[in-house]
Amino acid sequence: MANNGNGRSVWKVEEGERRSVGVIHIVITALLIGVGFVVGAFGSISFPLGFGVNFFWTGIVVQQVGPIWFGAWGVIAGTIFPFFSNAIAGTPFYVSLAYIPANFVQALLPAWAFKKFNCDPRMKSGKDYGVLLLAMVVSSAFGALYSPLVVLRGFGLLTTESLPLFIWGWFGGNVVAGLVFNFILLKALSGVVIKTPAFVKRWWS
Amino acid sequence: MNKTLLGYVPDASFIYLVHPTIKVLFLLVVSLFPMFISAVEWNVGLMVGLMALTVASRVNMRTLKIYIPVAVSMGMIILLSYTVLGGRHPDYQVITRIFGFPLYWERIRDALVVYFRILPMILTMVFFLSTTREREIIAALRAVRTPFVVTYVLAMSMRAAGMVMEDFRIVRQAEQARGFDSKNKPLPYKIRKYVMYMVPLFALSLRRSEEFTNALVARGYSFRSKVKRPDYILSRYRFAWWDGALGVVIAALFALLLVARYRFGRFTVEDSVLLRYLHTILIPGGGA
Repeated sequence: MANNGNGRSVWKVEEGERRSVGVIHIVITALLIGVGFVVGAFGSISFPLGFGVNFFWTGIVVQQVGPIWFGAWGVIAGTIFPFFSNAIAGTPFYVSLAYIPANFVQALLPAWAFKKFNCDPRMKSGKDYGVLLLAMVVSSAFGALYSPLVVLRGFGLLTTESLPLFIWGWFGGNVVAGLVFNFILLKALSGVVIKTPAFVKRWWS
Repeated sequence: MNKTLLGYVPDASFIYLVHPTIKVLFLLVVSLFPMFISAVEWNVGLMVGLMALTVASRVNMRTLKIYIPVAVSMGMIILLSYTVLGGRHPDYQVITRIFGFPLYWERIRDALVVYFRILPMILTMVFFLSTTREREIIAALRAVRTPFVVTYVLAMSMRAAGMVMEDFRIVRQAEQARGFDSKNKPLPYKIRKYVMYMVPLFALSLRRSEEFTNALVARGYSFRSKVKRPDYILSRYRFAWWDGALGVVIAALFALLLVARYRFGRFTVEDSVLLRYLHTILIPGGGA
């Protein structure tokens, strides 16, 4: 059970507690885009497979941890920043644009799963780890299938025979980086984040 | 010198005579050109044109060195994807066999078409990033009446990226000062230790978000206000007659390309002089 120390869920808005969209949410969105831009570009430049697909995409941490903490603001950032980090790493404009649905699902699914299954971002139980792992795998599988099959094939950049390389490249690059960073970051910082006014209990506030 | 998204460009560069909206239009439309061109030599021509524009804009070409490995690795991946991973096709023309594996002309041709289609798309993006300043993107967005909150978030994001890079450097130096150095270490070690950068980087960003918010609130910023804001940034750029002319030229070139491609069947693989020449070299006496 995800609780705030008093046996209550961290996602539950307490009686009398006022939560509203504030300037801090706009700021956090901008900062997440900024962090993702740098971290994502690092992965894209250091471990490229081609067309914005990488063997080890460090941007996944911002894309999946951000929405867990900051709800829809994190999802917005997680959907937008890969467009910029890919651009700086040499991915054509329209290819980056076409990746948006994959990035949206990859950002949304872990956050949705954490709220739906009442998991604790501080990773206090096996269920929290299990749900995050499953959400990472499923969301990355969607991205890995959509991007090479729909985008790269749609642009005529890949042969049918080379699709598995890109599907596994996208999937592995996201899941391995997620395994390395997501759990540690959530464990290390969630305790602090959920006490800040930026933490989002519902989707927008 | 003016700091652009990817480097520095001198004040005297002609590129600053162009309105930011036209720069964005150039990115949006010229990025589309290679998608309708299969003839390799036309895409090479487009690349030469883009490089010439980049040099004429006085971009420091050394900053673009990071794209050489990207271009090379992309080329290798495309070549492998179309040859080694391309499968066996008895109906294709075999150029040679490597370790018993057939190398087909059709696959090499397709790899070249794709590679020389992707390179100008990348160069268009690199040209845009190398010659455009952060505030020009904001000006372009405001010029097309993008909502204030969107442009503001984008402006903050670009500033935040700069700050994160600075924070990243500080965190790295702090860890090096404590004896941690990932130089000459194996990749798994570097990846594991990369976590040591991520946690402080996120923590710093969280702290910055509060500082940012306090600064904005103290200045009375509100994103919900319906009050019309003076667009100071737009007053810094004048839409001149040559901007209009450039916009028309870009649109006309695109229209011409579409007509040539779909009305007259030009810019196709069959239309490529370079590919025909390469075919005669690789398969002497072979049919097209």
